[in-house]
Amino acid sequence: MQTALADFIRETPRGREADAILRKCVHCGLCTATCPTYRLLGNELDSPRGRIYLIKRMLEGAAVGAATQLHLDRCLGCRACESTCPSGVEYGRLLESGKIVAEQNAPQRGAKERALRRLILAVVPHEKRFAFLLRIAQKLAPVLPHRLRAKIPHQRAVPAWPAPRHRRRMVMLRGCVQPAAAPAIDAAAAQLLDEHGVSLLGAGGCCGGVALHLPAAKKGLALARKAIDACWPPVEQGAEAVVVSASGCAVTVKEYAHLLRDDPAYAEKARVVSSLARDLSEVAAALNIIPAIAPRNLRVAFHSPCTLQHGQKITGVVERLLEDAGYTVAATPNHHLCCGSAGTYSLLQPGLSRQLLKNKLHDLHSAAPDLIATANIGCLLHLQSRTATPVRHWVELL
Amino acid sequence: MKNKKLRLLKKLRRILPAEAVLGDEERLRPYECDALSAYRRLPMIAVLPDNVEQVRAVLQLCARERTPVVARGAGTGLSGGALPRTDGVLLVMAKFNRILAVDEHNRTATVQPGVTNLAISEAVAHLGLFYAPDPSSQLACTIGGNVAENSGGVHCLKYGLTVHNIMEVKAVTMDGAVLTLGGRALDAPGFDLAALITGSEGLLGVIVEVTVKLLPRPDTARVLLAAFDRVEKAGDGVAAVIGAGIIPAGLEMMDNPAIRATEEFTGAGYPVEAEAILLCEVDGMAEEVAAQMETVEEMLRQAGAVHIRAARDERERALFWSGRKGAFPAVGRISPDYYCIDGTIPRRELGRVLRRIKELSAEFNLRVANVFHAGDGNLHPLILYDANVPGELERTEQLAAAILGHCVEVGGTITGEHGVGVEKINQMCTQFNARELAQMHAVKSAFDPEGLLNPGKAVPTLARCAEFGAMHVHHGKVAFPELERF
Amino acid sequence: MAAAEHDASADLLRAVKQARKEKRALRIRGGGSKDFLGRELNGDVLSAVSHHGITAYDPAELVVTVRAGTSIAALGAALAAHRQMLGFEPPEFGGRATVGGTVASGLSGPRRPYAGGARDFVLGLTCITGKAQLLRFGGQVIKNVAGYDLSRLMAGALGTLAVLCEVSLKVLPLPAAERGLVFSVTRDAALHMLAGWARKPLPLSGAAHHDGLLHVRLSGARSAVDAAAAALGGDEDDVSWWQQLREFELPFFTAGGAPLWRVSLPPAARPPLPGDSLVDWGGAQHWLRSEADAADIFTAAQNAGGHAVRFPLGEGGGGVYLSPLPPALLQLHKKLKNAFDPDGILNRGRLCAEF
Repeated sequence: MQTALADFIRETPRGREADAILRKCVHCGLCTATCPTYRLLGNELDSPRGRIYLIKRMLEGAAVGAATQLHLDRCLGCRACESTCPSGVEYGRLLESGKIVAEQNAPQRGAKERALRRLILAVVPHEKRFAFLLRIAQKLAPVLPHRLRAKIPHQRAVPAWPAPRHRRRMVMLRGCVQPAAAPAIDAAAAQLLDEHGVSLLGAGGCCGGVALHLPAAKKGLALARKAIDACWPPVEQGAEAVVVSASGCAVTVKEYAHLLRDDPAYAEKARVVSSLARDLSEVAAALNIIPAIAPRNLRVAFHSPCTLQHGQKITGVVERLLEDAGYTVAATPNHHLCCGSAGTYSLLQPGLSRQLLKNKLHDLHSAAPDLIATANIGCLLHLQSRTATPVRHWVELL
Repeated sequence: MKNKKLRLLKKLRRILPAEAVLGDEERLRPYECDALSAYRRLPMIAVLPDNVEQVRAVLQLCARERTPVVARGAGTGLSGGALPRTDGVLLVMAKFNRILAVDEHNRTATVQPGVTNLAISEAVAHLGLFYAPDPSSQLACTIGGNVAENSGGVHCLKYGLTVHNIMEVKAVTMDGAVLTLGGRALDAPGFDLAALITGSEGLLGVIVEVTVKLLPRPDTARVLLAAFDRVEKAGDGVAAVIGAGIIPAGLEMMDNPAIRATEEFTGAGYPVEAEAILLCEVDGMAEEVAAQMETVEEMLRQAGAVHIRAARDERERALFWSGRKGAFPAVGRISPDYYCIDGTIPRRELGRVLRRIKELSAEFNLRVANVFHAGDGNLHPLILYDANVPGELERTEQLAAAILGHCVEVGGTITGEHGVGVEKINQMCTQFNARELAQMHAVKSAFDPEGLLNPGKAVPTLARCAEFGAMHVHHGKVAFPELERF
Repeated sequence: MAAAEHDASADLLRAVKQARKEKRALRIRGGGSKDFLGRELNGDVLSAVSHHGITAYDPAELVVTVRAGTSIAALGAALAAHRQMLGFEPPEFGGRATVGGTVASGLSGPRRPYAGGARDFVLGLTCITGKAQLLRFGGQVIKNVAGYDLSRLMAGALGTLAVLCEVSLKVLPLPAAERGLVFSVTRDAALHMLAGWARKPLPLSGAAHHDGLLHVRLSGARSAVDAAAAALGGDEDDVSWWQQLREFELPFFTAGGAPLWRVSLPPAARPPLPGDSLVDWGGAQHWLRSEADAADIFTAAQNAGGHAVRFPLGEGGGGVYLSPLPPALLQLHKKLKNAFDPDGILNRGRLCAEF
């Protein structure tokens, strides 16, 4: 597409990147077909191509109104469009830039919306604050209205984290929400790796993804630096990989190199951490796990998180691991569509999120599964809030 | 103008919910073009109805207000057929995305116009049926747009164009009347109006419902990839296959630049050194396919294929096709912009036409990649250009016009499946003479006497042709030399 | 192949010009094989038979361009010499049927549901409108979407819009093998079987039922035809039966009886039509002999999702022809007629009483 970026951004790194991305887009519209919000709303403005156009318009210097921000806010950031795009448009990166520029130039959001965003930023990325609030909620659960109660995860037994005993080591960035909401996942991962000759070391901290997508770039980058610091000692001591069990965090850690490329203090460390970053599924696939001999007689519907299939372009890996472990993995329709969790989307766009969740569960249930598996804590909690079928991280099933 | 817009907005908001009426520049900007983004016009207003009553009301209002209306589906058209009017209302039909009924006994599906082409086949796959036309944009393009453009695809030679695969179309005319064209039987009484509205580019009525024909999915489909060191030899191969009495389900050719561009994106396994590749698919009963594959392979070998490979399984077959289907946008990876041409030619002229394109390409100093529906003679030269370079688009348009002129000269036409839109409106003056165009305008008037539906597209006014100054050329001869020229 | 002396387009144009000037009705006629078809015959005969001959045919292009007065039989022979055919299998009517009349009447034979109808094979044509203008629409290539598809509009219009001069048709290869099968079943059982088969990729090229027998024709590669025949069962049937059906030579057509109707229906419809019937097109075309009132037949056909056409073969025509058009469509037909033939000189009253 033809572009004419405005002076305020043309010669900046952000502007140059955006221009290069825009120039790749040929405006063919294939992306509209796999965009969850376009499929619901039928409005070009709620499609990737429409949003690209809104961003282009903004970067070309037009006045930014509430409409641009609204339609960018409605984007899940699922990046299904990137999987569909034959021209290789890096929509996710363009969107991040677009959101930041919109945040600076659009009229201020309403007071309620601002308060909600502040609250999210104050709680979610902070493991201890989140854990504290979650414990209160779990205690209060019996007296809470059903709608709220459904959102609170139950506590499950947590397997023991094996002590480091192998020479092969990896470090796991454990994130913010997951250690409190579903501590069993990382422990199961540590056990799996331990059984296959790798000791997993935990490192605390939020990856920064939630803040980055909101967008609160400053806070997001600060959290990213903290996460790098947390992983750094084991990395220096020869950890083979930075493992992330939540695909949403994994995709962010893989972006560190790009996000911090202009930070002299962190650029190199970020590059190293990103190059070592692995989704848990990539690590597990390389473990040469011996397939189960007997089938387990359990049907699993796997919901591949957008951050796994579109963000990291990892497809078919988890399914194979589950099949090797003796499960029957059922095919479900619209597997490329988002469940509506999308980080903080379920809090900020509850209407669309609910609709997507309903559709997703309908599709997953069409396979009559005994279990639903996924690969990201956000999707897991979101899906479980509206279904009686157990939803698990796949590693808990191995 | 401003007053008119405000008045219209007010009245439209009585017909439609507030969020379905877009009137400000910010919201309208993304609607300024379809997939032919070189042509852009900000609509005065865009509306997003979700039922037929709303469509009728909008059309009736616009008729009263003498306001042009342009219908739009998914906006994947490549001829600018959905290019808005600055003085008009853009009627966005994307919310009409429901499949209304599948009649498995009569093998039809009745769908709203905003249903995507591929969604129909997906919805009936469990019945062993499919909807045959498969334009490359089938993932996203809608059936309403397919009917309006009479879309083709890679399987047209055997399964036909959209016109051959639809039964009934419901359309609303500018006066708000809902017409049922065609029917559920194989023919309908009176004139074949279903055929007439197919390919009418939104100038006759707004399509609000389509009943398509479904075909049994062939139980076997096999595809073969043949590489040639000369384009002409690939052309000979095509003639030989058809001469042997085989109608392949798909027969596609790509030249070297197109091969390279797509191979990089899809990794389909195309030989990047080849001057041309042919993809030949045969389908049907397993026995028939086996027999035909043998013949095809022999014919292509005789024609001089240097390399032949059959897809081993369904996965590889899909991979072979993925390269071809993603060919246009994949060109977006090697060039900032591309301009797609849609001429058709008698197949025997292929060598001559490609040579001419090569000469023209050098003359205009613009690269051209060729993708060719070889089975049905539909040639898609893609001109690679950079819209940010001043003057390059203009040069591209001149090159495109020269190529299309050559297509008409050898007995072909200016558009095989993308439609005329705004893009080829001038070339219509080359293909048709003034009387023929006047006859088309008379047909338009029978549906839309005020000329309010998608004006300025598909059929040029005689004044425009006079301005364009083109001469009507047919088979290299000027027809009716006794008549005054426009 | 195309001798210039058989090009009578200038004569035709002159004749239409003259008639227009005098506001005199013209009745377009080829071989006269379908004089029985349509409501009424009005005006002076304008014969197109002297305008004949194939003007372009390249078998590898799968396209033939032929003058309207050429007989279907002659065209078929020329195509057969290159192992090709007209896919819609129109009747030859003893050699009298011409290309122009066939396209104008939109008649298609037993292969229609599997290969397409007359309109599906029309790629382009030249014609003389009622305004006495010789115009060209469509083209000589398989794919062409430039301008409105006015050539397909001529198929089935019974010459009410224009005099056809030259038509370009898509052609198909002759099938390598053909086999006929016959099953002894009731009509309803046959329709049920056909509905099932139609959802399978079988090489069907004909399926018709009459008098307790379901006739099926298979066409394609020898191996495919044999495999399909083995899968379907039934008894071997002489394929010449299909030629008789195509040419209306079966006793059902020749023996006379109650008035003959062509009823076009969705293939799975079970029309409650009284009278003897022969079902063709895999269930989508019912030939009906019935004494019932035209209005009743029209209503019954409409209720079943289709329409009816009076087909007074060998009876001498006239009177009713088509299921009545809904008012909005009739209006549109009149406007279209007016757009092509404002003085109403061409085949006046043949398709509809109103024009």
